[in-house]
Amino acid sequence: MRTMKKLYTLLALFCFIGTAWAQTPKGDVLIKNGTVLTVTNGTLENTDVLVRDGKITKIGKGIRTPRGVQEIDATGKFVMPGIIDAHSHIAGSAINEGTSQVTAEVSMEDVVDPMDVSIYRALAGGVTSIHLMHGSANVIGGQNETMKLRYGSTNPDDLRFEGAPRTIKFALGENPTRGGRARGIQPQSRMGVEMMLRNSFTQAQEYKKKWDAYNANKSARKVAPEYDLRMETLVDILEGEVWVNCHSYRADEIYMLLKVFSDFGIDRINFQHANEAYKVAPELAAFGATASVFADWWAYKLEVYYSTAYNAAILTENGVLTSINSDSGELIRHLFHEAAKTQKYGDLSDDEALALVTLNPAKQLGVDNRVGSLEEGKDADIAIFEGHPLSVYAIPMMTFVDGVKYFDRENDKADQRIYINPESNIEEVTIFDRHDMHRCMEGALSFEELFSTSKR
Amino acid sequence: MKLNKIRFQLAVLLVLCMSHVVAFAQSDPSGESAVTSTYALTNATVVTAPGSQLTNATVVVKNGLIMGVGSNVSIPADAQVIDASGLYVYAAFIDGMSNTGAERPDNPERPRDLFTPDPPNDYAGITPERSVVDQLSIESSAIAQMREAGFGISNAAPYGRMLPGSTSLIILKDADHVDELVLEKDNALYAQWVGAPGAYPGNILGMMAKWRNLYTNAVNDKSHADMFAENPSGLPRPTNDRVSMAFYPVLTKDKSVMFDVDGMLEVRRAMRLQRDLGFKLIVAGVEQSWTLIDELKSTNTPIFLSLDLPKEPKNAKEGDDISEEVEALEARRMEFYNLHVGQAAELEKAGIKFGFSAKGIRGGDLKKNLTTMIEHGLSEDAALAALTTNAADILGISQIAGTVQTGKVANLMVTSAPYFTKDSQVRYMFVDGEKYEYEKKEAKKGGNSSADASGDALAGTWNYSFESPQGVSEGTFVFSKIDGGYTGVMTFNDGQPDSDLRDVSFRNGELSFNLEFDAGGQSIVLNVTGAVTGSTFDGTITVDQFDFSTPISATKDGK
Repeated sequence: MRTMKKLYTLLALFCFIGTAWAQTPKGDVLIKNGTVLTVTNGTLENTDVLVRDGKITKIGKGIRTPRGVQEIDATGKFVMPGIIDAHSHIAGSAINEGTSQVTAEVSMEDVVDPMDVSIYRALAGGVTSIHLMHGSANVIGGQNETMKLRYGSTNPDDLRFEGAPRTIKFALGENPTRGGRARGIQPQSRMGVEMMLRNSFTQAQEYKKKWDAYNANKSARKVAPEYDLRMETLVDILEGEVWVNCHSYRADEIYMLLKVFSDFGIDRINFQHANEAYKVAPELAAFGATASVFADWWAYKLEVYYSTAYNAAILTENGVLTSINSDSGELIRHLFHEAAKTQKYGDLSDDEALALVTLNPAKQLGVDNRVGSLEEGKDADIAIFEGHPLSVYAIPMMTFVDGVKYFDRENDKADQRIYINPESNIEEVTIFDRHDMHRCMEGALSFEELFSTSKR
Repeated sequence: MKLNKIRFQLAVLLVLCMSHVVAFAQSDPSGESAVTSTYALTNATVVTAPGSQLTNATVVVKNGLIMGVGSNVSIPADAQVIDASGLYVYAAFIDGMSNTGAERPDNPERPRDLFTPDPPNDYAGITPERSVVDQLSIESSAIAQMREAGFGISNAAPYGRMLPGSTSLIILKDADHVDELVLEKDNALYAQWVGAPGAYPGNILGMMAKWRNLYTNAVNDKSHADMFAENPSGLPRPTNDRVSMAFYPVLTKDKSVMFDVDGMLEVRRAMRLQRDLGFKLIVAGVEQSWTLIDELKSTNTPIFLSLDLPKEPKNAKEGDDISEEVEALEARRMEFYNLHVGQAAELEKAGIKFGFSAKGIRGGDLKKNLTTMIEHGLSEDAALAALTTNAADILGISQIAGTVQTGKVANLMVTSAPYFTKDSQVRYMFVDGEKYEYEKKEAKKGGNSSADASGDALAGTWNYSFESPQGVSEGTFVFSKIDGGYTGVMTFNDGQPDSDLRDVSFRNGELSFNLEFDAGGQSIVLNVTGAVTGSTFDGTITVDQFDFSTPISATKDGK
């Protein structure tokens, strides 16, 4: 009986997913004779990649072109898995619900803006997936959204990475304490941040007890406890259903969070930025924690001074699963260069460096069964480069999501906007817009800061 | 009308008043009451419903109702006969959503400790238990303005933030008491995406979550209350939470949620909540519907399109020296202007029976905007249906309003020519059977309707300058006088998009208005107040959210 019920549930779920995402386009294409950088299986020269219905069905030499399948000549070009940015703030109508220190209940999936032209610009840098993150204004921020850059649709649902695990943003250090000090409330120091985390999880445990008791109550005449979406989400974190991505810089606060998570039995944690992670690399590896860092970006506030461009390499050498992210609408367009910096600073191999922006972020986001490397059976999220992507001469030529070409340098319209306000002035159109700026603290800023150009 | 006859009728009336208190409940020392409430419009062309027309017909109005329509209608003895030869009679328009009749209450005072997950409900804007009726004022000038534009009924929405209260259907007549305006109280729960300034929920992120939280608790609270009502023995007493209780009729689908959502993404977010929670949804004030047609059809979501349209872009004139790039950009901007003004036609083509919302437009723009939509493919019948029958259907009042039919409320618009022709004018309005007459307006000379030329103290262009934290900010305010009030736009020399000015008030040289702009998901409200002396303005800009204020000055463009 039980198995039957499970089966039905599974079937129902399958049908639901089937209908909900049935419309996103899937492509068929044969990419011929390229240098295929698989990331998991080395570099394959003069190799073809066959894509049917959005999936990579075959990687090999001399594949015959099936009828009706478009052929792309990649002779002399490099074919790599689509780049994945584990920390992005493009394509969001709002970034911070910064009005309270714990807002676990809010979710970026509610505020996806599919019309943000930054999506196209990211595609033009070979990026196929992003992790749209809540900002870092509060200790426990909102849930993030893992997305595929299916640009062109006005429906946010079309950009969801179907089946990706839920994740949430936490923040330590200066950002959340700045707000606390300005308003005279907790947290005003790193000590307050820790207590806020411990208190929140303790409250969530109490909340769960109440609901467990209610659910165990066999009486027909029972009264439900108050429902609290914030606590529900915290319970989901405790139960491992929502993975924490924590904004952090200093080694001491990174280590603090490991201790808090040990105490509460949470074992999945990805540290974002983590400029001092190299100092606690063995501890991170022992915990199984992961890190998503900048290649060489620091000194924009006090807690970010003690940094090194060797961070990613040191973490990798110590067995910490590491990715390099952009956190920026500009850096996202050349994450391949960011990855290449680890060869100058740390001598990482090609595969190790490429994995920093493909397979590793895919693992951190729990989507490595679908993307992150070129393997038969995986989604056809692919970038084609002129020049090796780790070379300074690399030029992204084409980008595919689910086998559908969303960027083609040879066929690149000048104006890629999906919506234009008819009342806008022509003079306004500039290459630089607010998405180029750091949006981590957006919505949680003072009036002066809102008008300042430096937002990080 | 002979004076003697009026005197005689007045005398009769006085007698009648004494015996029929019900009919004339209010004494009228001013002597302005109508001599009779029975009217017969004769020899009229009557558009009884969109696409259906009678000629040389009579319409009889009595006791607030339409008592006869057709060519063989007997005219009651007490009727005032209006020769409507050459005139056109329509059902008065129905506005799907606006703030008509409501007065904006003072903003709730900012509590001291706002940085909490649960600020007081009234500051957070969570007051679904309230009704727009409490904000209505019989003195609101919008009632007469809407009526003059052809409307007989408005679905009035309350001012507020995310959940201000319920809308009510109001009848657009001169009343002695607010209750006389109310046709149906609290017909829909009104919602919008307006966050609390500087408090939770501050933006769309928090509001989506708050909605889910409120709704789930309302479901639980209701099942508790139902259980308790059935048999209270041994059960804890329900808390009678006013916010939860306001959702009960929504949970049982006895009441719709009317979401005031202009942009496409705002509509989608309302539809997403509907999908997740299951309430009955009406979307109103929609300005971008062209990519939503499939979803609107498949979910059968009723929609009131906004009557507000963007201004037509001013492209470079032929012969102007512009680059190819600018030409291409202008073409794309025009493409989206055409989508805006053509969307009503697209909905018609798709078979969607939409209505219109008058929120944010001035009466004078109604006809102009409708004409623009018709020029872009909307049929006149569909436009009329949107203003009458469709609106009545969506609002559930098609039995009493929306067509010229015996037995319906006497809400009629009488025009000098077919309504959609260029020079047609509203000559009479009948609302709830009461007659309002409008003088024939002569065609304006000179063509330019903007108020600049009229020598008005405010209308025109003002160059402002103020010190922002980033340095000196400059641009213009452009004020226009419309229907006795003012509208305005603020432009920015630094290339920021223009902002519409709201609540422009100019009295005895005191000028005040506010504007809202979006700073990445957080809305910032600037309040401007000050004094106009000749061609100079000196005032203050305040931003409550940041306790910020700075002086601002402006000078009028001397032409």
